[in-house]
Amino acid sequence: MARARSLAPLAPALLIVLALWGAGMAGAVRSSLGVNRISGWSAADLDAYRTLLGDPEFWDALWFTLRIAALATAVSAVLAVALAAALRRHGPSTRVLAAVPVPMPHLVAAVLAVLWLAPGGIADRVLGSLPVDLVRDPAGLGIVLVYVYKETPFLALLVLAAWGPAVAAREEAAAVLGARPLQRLRWVVWPAIRAPLVTGSAVVAAFVIGAFEVPLAIGPTSPQTLSELALSATKTASLDGRSVANAALLVASLLAVAVAAGAAAALGRRNE
Amino acid sequence: MSDREGPVASRLGGRVVVALVAVGALLPLLTLVLRAAADEWRSPSALPQRYGTRGIEEAFADAPRAAEAILNSLVVGLAATAIALVVAWPAARVIGERRLRRTAPLWVLLGLPLLVPPFATGSGLTEWFIRLGIADTLFGLVVAHLIPVLPYVVLILASGFRPEVREVEEAAAVHGAGPARRLALVTLPALAPVVAVAALLGFLVSWSQYGLSLAVGGGTPMLPLVLVPFVGSDPQVAAVLALVFLAPAVAAVALSLALVARLADGGRRAREPGSRGARRALEGVPGGGR
Repeated sequence: MARARSLAPLAPALLIVLALWGAGMAGAVRSSLGVNRISGWSAADLDAYRTLLGDPEFWDALWFTLRIAALATAVSAVLAVALAAALRRHGPSTRVLAAVPVPMPHLVAAVLAVLWLAPGGIADRVLGSLPVDLVRDPAGLGIVLVYVYKETPFLALLVLAAWGPAVAAREEAAAVLGARPLQRLRWVVWPAIRAPLVTGSAVVAAFVIGAFEVPLAIGPTSPQTLSELALSATKTASLDGRSVANAALLVASLLAVAVAAGAAAALGRRNE
Repeated sequence: MSDREGPVASRLGGRVVVALVAVGALLPLLTLVLRAAADEWRSPSALPQRYGTRGIEEAFADAPRAAEAILNSLVVGLAATAIALVVAWPAARVIGERRLRRTAPLWVLLGLPLLVPPFATGSGLTEWFIRLGIADTLFGLVVAHLIPVLPYVVLILASGFRPEVREVEEAAAVHGAGPARRLALVTLPALAPVVAVAALLGFLVSWSQYGLSLAVGGGTPMLPLVLVPFVGSDPQVAAVLALVFLAPAVAAVALSLALVARLADGGRRAREPGSRGARRALEGVPGGGR
C-alpha cells in the first residue's frame, strides 16, 4: 500500500504518455489491418501487408532507408569520437559552439545543405563545381550529409561526458607503460565511451529510420524512404492507401525499436 | 595533437580546432542570413548582386499562411511545454529522488514513444482524433505533441530533484513555510536552471515536430510544414522562414553560453542545482515570516 502511494505521483505523466502513444500504436495497427468505422473488426485482414510485400517500391524503400540510417549513424559515430578527442582540451564555450547543430531543426540543416550543395549553390560558386551530385541524388548522399552534420556534435557531446579526467589519468598511465595512441583508444578510451556512444547511435539510427523531412527536402523523388512511401500512400484517396501507409509505418517503427533493443542487448551482454 | 608534440604545436592545434568549430557553427548561419537578404544572387557570383526585403515580403505579405503557421507553432509549443512541465513535476520528483527500486520499465515506457517514428504514432492517432472531434485543431496538436515533449521534460526535470532540494524544503517547512511558500521561495528557485532547460528543450521538440503535425494537424499550417515547399520553389523565402525556425535554437545556444559564463564566474558551486538559489530563498523565510 505504501509502495503504491509512493508511486502515485508517477501516474499522471506515465498514464498520459502510455494512453496517447498506445492509442497511436493501436490505431496504426488497426488501420493497417483494414479495420475502419464502417466495416469494423470483421473486415480485418492482412491485405495491406500483402500489397506492401508484393510491391517492389517497398523493398527499394526499405533498403534505401536502412542504407541511409546505417551510413549516417556509422559516419557520425566515427566523426563524433574524433570531434570529442579534438574538443577534449577545450573549455565549455568551444563545446557550446561545436554543439550549435544539436538544437537546430533538421529541416534548417536541410535548407542549408540545399543552399550550399545544390547545382549553382555556394560550394559550386566558390570551388568551381562539385565533383558529385549531393542534392536529390539517387544514392541519398545529401541526406546522409545533413544527418552527419546534425548528429556528429550530438554524439560527440555524449562521448565527451564519459571521456573525463578519470579516463585521461588512465590514458596517461597506459602511455607511461608504453601503450601507443591506437592501443590507448582501443583498451582505455573505448570501454569508457562505448555505452554512451552505442546508446546515442541507436537513438540516431531510430530517428533516421522514422523521420522524413530531410529526405523530403533534399532527397531524391525515387527511391523513397519508408516514411515518404507511407506519405505517398496516404495521399491516394482510398482507405486501402491508409492501410498500406500504416503498415509501412509499423515496419519502420519495428525497425527503430529493433535497433534500440539490439543496442541495449549488446550493452547488457558486455556488462554482465 | 598528441601529447608528445611540443607545447607550441599543441597550442597551435588547439587554436585550429577552435577556429574550425567557430567557422562550422557560424558560417552556415551567416550564409542563411545572406540568402534571406539576397534579392538577386545570380550564379556564378559568390556574393549577392542586390540586397533587399523581397524574401520577407513574399513570406508574410503575400502569403498570410506563413505568419499563421509561425503563430500556430508558437502556441502549440508553448501550450504543450506548459502542460508537460506541470504533469511531469510529480513524476520527476519521484524519479529524481531515487524512490524507485526498479527503473528499467520506466525507461522503456518513456523511451519507446521517442524511438517510434512520430509520423507512425500520429498516423495511428488520426482516426481517434477525428472521432473525438479534435483532428485538425490546435488542441489536437497540443495533445499529440505531448507524446514526444512529456518524456523529455520528465527526464530533464528529474535531474534537478536531488536530495539536497528535499533537505532545503524540509528546513523551510521546519521554519513554518507552507506548501505554496515552499514552492515559490525554495523549490522553484532551486530548480530554476533545470526548469529553464526542460522548458526550452520541450519547446524545441514541439517546435521542430514535422511528421506528427503532418499526420494529426490535417491542413493546419505549422511552420515546418509551410517551409518545405519553398525549399525547391523559392530559396529566399525558404531562408527567411528557416531563420525564424532557427530562432529558438539560437536562443538555446545563447542561453548555454550565458550559463557557461556564469559558471566560470561563480566557480563550481553554482553547478549544483539548488545551491545558490535555494540558499538565497531560504534566507528569505527566516522563522517562517510570521
